[in-house]
Amino acid sequence: MKKYLIATIIIAIFLVVLIPFASSNPDGLEKVAITYGAEEHQSIWNGIMADYSFFSIGNQYFSTILAGIFGVVAVLVAGLVLSKVMTSNDKRAKKR
Amino acid sequence: MHISDGLILNNTSLVLAIMMWVLSIGIFAWSWKKALQTYTRSITALLAISSAFVFAAQMINFPILFGSSGHLVGGTFLAVLLGPYVAILSMTLVLGMQALFFADGGIVAFGMNMFNMAIIGGLSYFLIKALTRKSSSQKWFISSVFITSWISVMLGAVITSFEIAPAFSGGLAVTLPSMLLLHGIIGVGEGALTTVLITSIQRLNPTILGGLSLLKGRIDKT
Repeated sequence: MKKYLIATIIIAIFLVVLIPFASSNPDGLEKVAITYGAEEHQSIWNGIMADYSFFSIGNQYFSTILAGIFGVVAVLVAGLVLSKVMTSNDKRAKKR
Repeated sequence: MHISDGLILNNTSLVLAIMMWVLSIGIFAWSWKKALQTYTRSITALLAISSAFVFAAQMINFPILFGSSGHLVGGTFLAVLLGPYVAILSMTLVLGMQALFFADGGIVAFGMNMFNMAIIGGLSYFLIKALTRKSSSQKWFISSVFITSWISVMLGAVITSFEIAPAFSGGLAVTLPSMLLLHGIIGVGEGALTTVLITSIQRLNPTILGGLSLLKGRIDKT
């Protein structure tokens, strides 16, 4: 468990340091859509934290960091669950 | 390179999106089966932590030309670390969380995004393997990682161009050249970041990569 905590902290530091330098320009695909005027319509799902802003936190920097850490933990947990499911399947397969 | 649902706006797009869902789920099921055969508990921490890292790294956009930006996709990075099948599963987790919580990449378009980033990224493993088949030099290995990262981004951009073409009045004639131009540059960033990450991990913890067939016999020489 400890190593996951340490990993989360290291990745959080990575975000804290680098997010201020991250470019807010549209990414390659968004740029193409804007330049050539794709007629984008409303999405059916807007997420819980659209554009990586953590609920109603006003400060954009902290908001993005918190959303980032939330996402990192979510992916980490999902990875552990996936791993658990895969190894439990493995055991069952061997018993058979 | 995340396609949003905003770009799925007519019947052609919708049919394409559904086809990509079916294709991606099929390939996901295949890699799940393949991954089960080789998966060991010892890879758990590597899977969870590298997936979480790729999620974070995707948030850091670097500026490129024309007022645009790009970020690491990380498909080839995960493929080198985890092998092709587990990398597909891992990248699908990252994309899933982005779509679910942050609306980064749509739900309808999820099959497309899965194919463009998770599946192409994971399968890029086989290109590295083919490129390094005859040589065991570290320099050539790293060059192959660079080339493969670039190609995986470009290939993703090509497929994306086809998938989003129905949303543009100019169609593929507009999307393909512009996507290729921008992602040709983004791909260089992808290659640079991936090679830096892989060489750092090799230096810090050679045993992590030692177990991978891709690197067998190569680690001792560095």
